[in-house]
Amino acid sequence: MAKKYTLNELLIIAVAREINNYDNVILGVGLPTTAGALAKALHAPQANLMMEAGMIDFEPLIPPNHIADAMACKGYACATDLFTAFTTTYRGFVDICFLGVGQIDKFGNLNTTSIGDYYKPDLRLPGSGGAADFISYSKRTVLTMRGGEFVEELEYFTSPGYLGGGDERDRCGLFPEGSGPTKLITQKGIFAFDPATKEMVLVEMHPGITVKDIQKDVPWELKISENLSATQPPSDEEIDFIRKFAPAAAMGRELATEVAFANLFKVLEARGKI
Amino acid sequence: MAKPIEKVMSAPDAVSKFVNDGDNLIIGNYTVGTCMELVFEILRQGKKGFTLYSQSGILDVELLVAAGAVERLVTTYVMRSGGRNGGSAVERALQDGSLQMEDYTNFNYNARLMAGMHGFSFMQVFEGIMVTDLFKKRGFLGEDKYRIIKCPYTGKDVVTVPAANPDVCIVHVQRADKFGNAQYWGAIGSVPAAALASKKIIITCEEIVDTEIIRSSPHHTIIPAFRADAVIEVPWGAHPTEVVGHYNQDKLMYGLFVTAAAGRESLEEWMDEWIFSCQDRQAYIDHYVERFGSDWLQKLVAKPLYSAPANYGSAFHSTWDENGKDRGTGLTMEEIENLLEERGLLHG
Repeated sequence: MAKKYTLNELLIIAVAREINNYDNVILGVGLPTTAGALAKALHAPQANLMMEAGMIDFEPLIPPNHIADAMACKGYACATDLFTAFTTTYRGFVDICFLGVGQIDKFGNLNTTSIGDYYKPDLRLPGSGGAADFISYSKRTVLTMRGGEFVEELEYFTSPGYLGGGDERDRCGLFPEGSGPTKLITQKGIFAFDPATKEMVLVEMHPGITVKDIQKDVPWELKISENLSATQPPSDEEIDFIRKFAPAAAMGRELATEVAFANLFKVLEARGKI
Repeated sequence: MAKPIEKVMSAPDAVSKFVNDGDNLIIGNYTVGTCMELVFEILRQGKKGFTLYSQSGILDVELLVAAGAVERLVTTYVMRSGGRNGGSAVERALQDGSLQMEDYTNFNYNARLMAGMHGFSFMQVFEGIMVTDLFKKRGFLGEDKYRIIKCPYTGKDVVTVPAANPDVCIVHVQRADKFGNAQYWGAIGSVPAAALASKKIIITCEEIVDTEIIRSSPHHTIIPAFRADAVIEVPWGAHPTEVVGHYNQDKLMYGLFVTAAAGRESLEEWMDEWIFSCQDRQAYIDHYVERFGSDWLQKLVAKPLYSAPANYGSAFHSTWDENGKDRGTGLTMEEIENLLEERGLLHG
């Protein structure tokens, strides 16, 4: 019988499958890094993993704490600077990058900056970081969403997807032709973008999820692929790799943080330090 | 004016001498190995009114903003300490109107430093930014956040950002010599650009080393001595962030900070305990050891992992060969001097 998996694992594996052998890959922290390590270990050994802080062609050792965590690398082939990491992307050398989603609209445009009035925000999110630059110039961008939301209209436009849809992104002449988000992977399913309208389309559903479950998060009438299929469940090999490489990623941030904090405070308490 | 040759001093002296209220202050480090002790010392001295530049804000930006030391913030990314539901000092300051902020992308921010570092007045950035709110929504820089010019070669519209030349950069590195040659390795990020774009540079380092060590590995030097203003040896100077080759990130202290930073009062308590009640980094570390035990700290210490030495050798180290002849002309010193006399080239 196949191993049971967590939704985090399913998401990481779906992300890893987007990486092809020999791809030049920009990895953001968290789930993409684990996915990058998985891809490299199992099906894309020659993928070139890069981080925007300037680590080029790194071998993952442990899951990094952030996008400048050189100590999480077993070594890397080239130490360049952030400026060059981005101009490398601008020049078209990056095949694929991964971005997290705060808010997303139907054409894959993103907000990771603020909720409410930008100048006096209800919620101040982290900001662009490298997101707007990467999704603009990477050949493909895969979006991942845990805890983000689908909205009719972004409260702040941080990163460009397909703008108003159709051929608007290509037509405006500001982006490489054919670039833009290719997939959105959530804990419920996988979305692609229609080749003509560029509207997101549900293409795969994770096991146990219904269209209704997905539609209730989406404030517009969701387009569903005629070939809608079930997401291929992770193999035992994939699950084993993730649990071994990044047990916290398998658990998900919330549970991992809860357990880590409890562990720290337990140790401190035992020492009479709290 | 030429700077003194030797720049070793204490953190309090460096901050009091080189950091002024109202400065454009830049945090040189990017996400990792940040200059925590210099941030702490700036807060202890109550310096304020800064326009703060940070490539990516973590504890450093949160603390400076929480203390009310920052009026304006230029950055690309801020830490949301309390996760989606908790707050952050930056969020609270934006909400109560005490902080103005200018949002850039990682590349756009770094481009401002690259322009400043090289003495240009602006830098070209990627044109895709024009469709975003980063371009459309302006903060205190107004029209000068981005401007568009026509490329004289292609005729296309080119987006530019203005150069940034902050008054003073605070930066932490692995090692430096007493003259201020500073060596840093690991995630390069925008660390060299932040330092070199700035008018003054204050460097803390894990260790001060002999100049011979610096000269044997010049590719690691990101700040040459003539640009440095102060060098301070501060072991554990970046704790609780990590320094490649020295120590890992301290998740215990991060945890305490993140828990505290979700609220205004709890963060003030954290700052009282760890910044204002500790007169310097040694006192901070002593306090840490007293609270949690020295083994917690020792667990973070990096195991050595050296890069292979690069061979800087050459065939010879003197212009004179083993027979006392100049390698180029094949002449001895006596023969050269005779020749100069013969040709009438010697005077006086």
